[in-house]
Amino acid sequence: MLLSALTTSLDVLALETWAPGTARQVLDTEPAAAPGAQVSGGPRAVLRLANISLSFGGLTALRDVDLDVAEGEIRAVIGPNGAGKSSLLNVVSGLYRPDQGEVWFGDHAFRQVPTAQLARLGVARTFQNLALFNGLSAFDNVLIGLAHRVHTGFIRQLVGSPAARRIEAENRAAAEEVIGFLHLQEVRDRIAGSLPYGLQKRVELARALVARPKLLLLDEPFAGVTLSGKQELAQHVRGARDRYGTTIVLIEHDIGIVMGLSDHIAVLDYGRKIADGPPAEIKTNQAVIDAYLGVAHEDETELAI
Amino acid sequence: MTTITETTVAPTRLSWLTPNLLGVALLLLLGYGLVPWIGSDYLMDAVLTPFLALALAAIGLNVLTGYAGQVSLGSAAFLAVGAYAAYNLNLRLPSLPLLADIVLAGAIAAAVGIVFGLPSLRLRGFYLAVSTLAAQFFVQWALTKFGWFSNDNASGVIDAPVIRIGSLSFTSATGRYVFSLSIVAVATALTARLLASQIGRNFIAVRDHEVAAKVIGVPLLRTKLLAFGISSFLIGVAGVLWAFAYLRTVEPAGFNLDRSFQILFIIIIGGLASLRGAFIGAAFIVVFPLLLSRLGAALLGSVFDSGVLEMSQRIVIGALIIAFLIAEPRGLVALIDRAVAAARRLRSSQS
Amino acid sequence: MFDTQFLIEVLVGGLLSGVMYSLVAIGFVLIYKTSGVLNFAQGAMLLFAALTFVSLVERGTPFALALLATLAIMVALGITIERAVLRPLINQPPITLFMATLGLSYVIEGAAQLLWGTQVHGLEIGVSDIPFDIAGVFISRFDLFAAAVAGSLVALFTLFFRYTRTGLAFRAVADDQFAALAVGLRLPRVWAAVWTAAGIVALVAGLLWGARLGVQFSLSLVVLKALPVLVLGGFDSITGAIVGGLLIGAIEKLAEVYVGPFFGGGIEAWAAYVVALALLLVRPSGLFGQKLVERV
Ligand SMILES: Nc1ncnc2c1ncn2[C@@H]1O[C@H](COP(=O)(O)OP(=O)(O)OP(=O)(O)O)[C@@H](O)[C@H]1O
Ligand SMILES: [Mg+2]
Repeated sequence: MLLSALTTSLDVLALETWAPGTARQVLDTEPAAAPGAQVSGGPRAVLRLANISLSFGGLTALRDVDLDVAEGEIRAVIGPNGAGKSSLLNVVSGLYRPDQGEVWFGDHAFRQVPTAQLARLGVARTFQNLALFNGLSAFDNVLIGLAHRVHTGFIRQLVGSPAARRIEAENRAAAEEVIGFLHLQEVRDRIAGSLPYGLQKRVELARALVARPKLLLLDEPFAGVTLSGKQELAQHVRGARDRYGTTIVLIEHDIGIVMGLSDHIAVLDYGRKIADGPPAEIKTNQAVIDAYLGVAHEDETELAI
Repeated sequence: MTTITETTVAPTRLSWLTPNLLGVALLLLLGYGLVPWIGSDYLMDAVLTPFLALALAAIGLNVLTGYAGQVSLGSAAFLAVGAYAAYNLNLRLPSLPLLADIVLAGAIAAAVGIVFGLPSLRLRGFYLAVSTLAAQFFVQWALTKFGWFSNDNASGVIDAPVIRIGSLSFTSATGRYVFSLSIVAVATALTARLLASQIGRNFIAVRDHEVAAKVIGVPLLRTKLLAFGISSFLIGVAGVLWAFAYLRTVEPAGFNLDRSFQILFIIIIGGLASLRGAFIGAAFIVVFPLLLSRLGAALLGSVFDSGVLEMSQRIVIGALIIAFLIAEPRGLVALIDRAVAAARRLRSSQS
Repeated sequence: MFDTQFLIEVLVGGLLSGVMYSLVAIGFVLIYKTSGVLNFAQGAMLLFAALTFVSLVERGTPFALALLATLAIMVALGITIERAVLRPLINQPPITLFMATLGLSYVIEGAAQLLWGTQVHGLEIGVSDIPFDIAGVFISRFDLFAAAVAGSLVALFTLFFRYTRTGLAFRAVADDQFAALAVGLRLPRVWAAVWTAAGIVALVAGLLWGARLGVQFSLSLVVLKALPVLVLGGFDSITGAIVGGLLIGAIEKLAEVYVGPFFGGGIEAWAAYVVALALLLVRPSGLFGQKLVERV
């Protein structure tokens, strides 16, 4: 009884925020990327996690997690607070070293991903808590997303050698383009730290996008953004995939957004992956509903009382 | 009248991106064209020359602490390395021109700075700050202990050579002032240029969010060591000015921890991560004790002896540091900017 | 050839003077654990306490009364600092707070000397420095006394933090500031208490160091001796402060006696720092400091 009521509430949410199938429609007009058709786990997996476990002292954040993300797909990772979602992204970006398991980018396997090489491997990310460089302008924040392409030494930068100038000009052009793409022209010269929260989130997205990553990891990019802001930002995320062919792993709590935006959804609970499949399947998955709404635990406390 | 609300939305721009070239040109014109002709020897010797040397040292520390976010408590050590290196280069390689000595002395200070900056790769915050103290104590000890550095002068005292470039010699107070001004102007211009390049952005990125910087591909190791190197280079050159143009006779004890703190205070009071702040802070630190002693003497008469003066200086400087950290962490430079903006608003609302 | 007897003597001397370092370091740890501030003004507080005490005694105040009066002044100082400096800077980055304590140390040093003068005062606390002879090893009576005082102080604090309400609050705050706030602990209260405790430590350390070196400006420089101790032991561990102090004391003396001659002496000015740094490169948060994986 109760459970079915909850299921419908999930449905309602999805319908309210997003007309289902919007993602598909956009895709139909853009045949270059056909992520939905990709069988996950096929040879074209851009990201593959094999048997990842991670613990902090006595606390297990991830247990035997496997994940395959196909090229061009938007893969959501959802789960209750503390489920291990951010830890998963931190493992993928090499900030945490898993106790066990491997991370694969295409054909490269890593026990611990070398964070300093991440940009060169074609991976970019945003952070759950804003991680902008507050003392730089919005434009410079985006520009610095290309830091890994600047290989001229400091003497050449100081005197402004031809190579240094060329790289600087190329990077500036790329940054301008992303600024335009995400409609940030108005604020491009403002100090990032002085921008409203939603715009800061967008600048962070721009900073990640400017390098045209093959794989983009987004940790709750919609958190704390207003409703209209969310819709706009969601368009941008989808636009990024459609325009640049970027594969996206997206952590998000807003079920509505997730249902509308993603091709596949993986669900974590207490560090374990309890479900993985297309939105329609996840929506009706009993284990997910239990985990997400903490039903089992409420039962326990009831029994205890 | 009704435009007050609108003006507050004016974008906050980065000050170093839009350097007010006109203002700089005006200051240089003043510094070269007017001061040497009308300024007294006292002004140039006791006020302007130390001001310039301290400002350059503060720019150096600002690169490291203000821009790259690595706190250092050992600035005086690099002043000393610069001074003693230039002294020895001049003494032992007489064929080298003095300008080459100065640049090489800066380079030696940079090398020492990079060595002491190595812990920054693993250490953060306080742990790093404490480790920079190692530089402070080690350098001071080495310069006192090994007679070679001071050509076997008692307790490490060195006498600076005459500043001579080609056939020009800068012996008078005016000459030493003009020489310092030229070195500081060139060094400041180069630093400003560097800070506006990718390297400057990398510094700020490492300061503001090290993890994000790493993820993006900012080379942390190189960036931090570069910050230590450039910072120590500038401080080393400032040390040469301090020893050759200002004091003329220096000893290792003069480059003590208090000197390091003085430079740190300059950038806190003037404004972190601001080149203008370094100058404003240095001006404050040089002029303030002079004012305080005049004021104290006028108000208290003979009670205000040198001991009382020194202690009240400490108290006021300390209190000012706390006050700035609480009320305006961006320093005098922000205060001045705000005052200028307010004056502009006032004028535009009147017209 | 090698004189074991002498080695032991040097070692014991080092360990005992290490206790004095620990004493200063504990003052730091108390404040660091609760408010995340590296209180550079600890040395200045020490100077202030010793100078106040000596000056009161010199002006004819009885010993016990002078001690009480100084204690009261240190408590007032602690509370004032909390009000005037810490509270307005709440939520600022730790490094800002550190710089504020640097400013604070200037204010306190200046004030202490402006009030009581800059001359050197002798401080006699009634313990002679005649060495004991234990099994052929000479040990300073004063050092033993200092070690005993430091030991009892640590024991007292341990009892205090284990069995009193304020102590409990202190530990809660040290553990998790946000959780402590959430359960309704008043941070300013705890901070004032902690600064007071640090003031008491400063008083005790100031008297011991003052009796050893004479009460003068350079007393505030013992802060520089305590820093490598903290780095070695970890800023947030009392055990670390004690063990670190002993280690640094021993290393410094051994280095001075056995390594120093090769460099013409005086290496104790930096030997402790080099040792602490070397250890840091292996363990970036000291021997006993909490090791944290940065969250993002
Ligand atoms: N650096 C760390 N040190 C210690 N524990 C950590 C660390 N990072 C994460 N954890 C713990 O691991 C567990 C998973 O945390 P994680 O941040 O991955 O959750 P999450 O799914 O992202 O939650 P949320 O939705 O609240 O962001 C939590 O219990 C958390 O406290
Ligand atoms: Mg998270």
